[in-house]
Amino acid sequence: MSFLLPKLTSKKEVDQAIKSTAEKVLVLRFGRDEDPVCLQLDDILSKTSSAISKMAAIYLVDVDQTPVYTQYFDISYIPSTVFFFNGQHMKVDYGSPDHTKFVGSFKTKQDFIDLIEVIYRGAMRGKLIVQSPIDPKNIPKYDLLYQDI
Amino acid sequence: MAPAQRCPLCRQTFFCGRGHVYSRKHQRQLKEALERLLPQVEAARKAIRAAQVERYVPEHERCCWCLCCGCEVREHLSHGNLTVLYGGLLEHLASPEHKKATNKFWWENKAEVQMKEKFLVTPQDYVRFKKSMVKGLDSYEEKEDEVIKEMAAQIREVEQSRQEVVRSVLEPQAVPDPEEGSSAPRSWKGMNSQVASSSQQPSNLDLPPAPELDWMEIGPSLTFIGHQDIPGVGNIHSGATPPWLIQDEYIGGNQEIGPSYEKFLKEKEKQKLKKLPPDRVGANFDHSSRTSAGWLPSFGRVWNNGRRWQSRHQFKTEAAAMKKQSHTEKS
Repeated sequence: MSFLLPKLTSKKEVDQAIKSTAEKVLVLRFGRDEDPVCLQLDDILSKTSSAISKMAAIYLVDVDQTPVYTQYFDISYIPSTVFFFNGQHMKVDYGSPDHTKFVGSFKTKQDFIDLIEVIYRGAMRGKLIVQSPIDPKNIPKYDLLYQDI
Repeated sequence: MAPAQRCPLCRQTFFCGRGHVYSRKHQRQLKEALERLLPQVEAARKAIRAAQVERYVPEHERCCWCLCCGCEVREHLSHGNLTVLYGGLLEHLASPEHKKATNKFWWENKAEVQMKEKFLVTPQDYVRFKKSMVKGLDSYEEKEDEVIKEMAAQIREVEQSRQEVVRSVLEPQAVPDPEEGSSAPRSWKGMNSQVASSSQQPSNLDLPPAPELDWMEIGPSLTFIGHQDIPGVGNIHSGATPPWLIQDEYIGGNQEIGPSYEKFLKEKEKQKLKKLPPDRVGANFDHSSRTSAGWLPSFGRVWNNGRRWQSRHQFKTEAAAMKKQSHTEKS
């Protein structure tokens, strides 16, 4: 599954991906290829990638290989999916404590496609934060680790 | 009430029937209209005695409106180059239709009867006018001839003075040559005796050709840059190909005119971009800018205090602090 999607292995490559994706949502999955939840997520991503190819570009990033971004994006749980549009980070309110990224896997392909579409439309209208269309039941729950505690 | 009738003089519709003609307003209008027409007719009448003939000027095409007949009449008669002033108007005034129309007009509008005579021209008057017209034409012709003769005399005078000037310039040149000097005054005297017409040609042949060129170069002189006459290559007069159509020796690969295919595709992309909404996120993001190794994207961090653009700054300070800590720990 993960071999069907392009991989980024260094900060430079990630920078390149962020800068070069134009007028499309950039989906960066941060995780490890062997992790079971990551595998689930990767499955969904690869199956939908061609369907939303005009709206989004999907890349996989290994957290061990890009420590800078792991810290910068504050990735404590994997998989975490971060969304960008034209070099700008897009926030999504899923009903979870962290709006900056999507933690965990999606339940169905349709959820993911809906989410991408909402992000795309919001970006076209100039919104930096959008409301997630996914049913809150399907959003994985996690506890946000408070810093410095 | 009487049926609606339109009075052309007042340019109004009225319902008084026959009574309108006697009203103050109508009489006033009538008076004004006749007053307008009267001067023209008077001028034409004067012309009966002494017809004036003049050279044709476009203004002579003007037409006059005859109130009684309700039609436009050419004021002056023109034929070729000449015009007889007021000829057309007089012709119309003398015609029987005009007489009938005038009578009708007077009866219908109840104008003063004495005035009517002024606006008519009897046939005898018209005959008199024709005679004076003939006389006028003759006198005009005579005048024209005189004018032409005067102009001819003037031209001759001017030519004479010019010749004298030329001769006075040539005198110092002709003196060194004794043979010419003796014969020249004689020929010049001969010239003086001949007046007008044939002065031109013999004088030109007598004079040597070199002084002509000197005389032509008086004034600011032009720089001569050489004869542009290369035997092999033609020029515009011989119909050679113009320089901008000649192919250069070095032709770089293909000779395509216009943008290449890649540029064309890029242009297509740009067109598509224009269609996107202008206020989308990151519309002014420069995708091709080169960033340093330490570049971080604009990311709204989870634990930052402050605005999004400060999160980068905060991260850098935190990173520096962590590094320091690890250094101090190590050491």
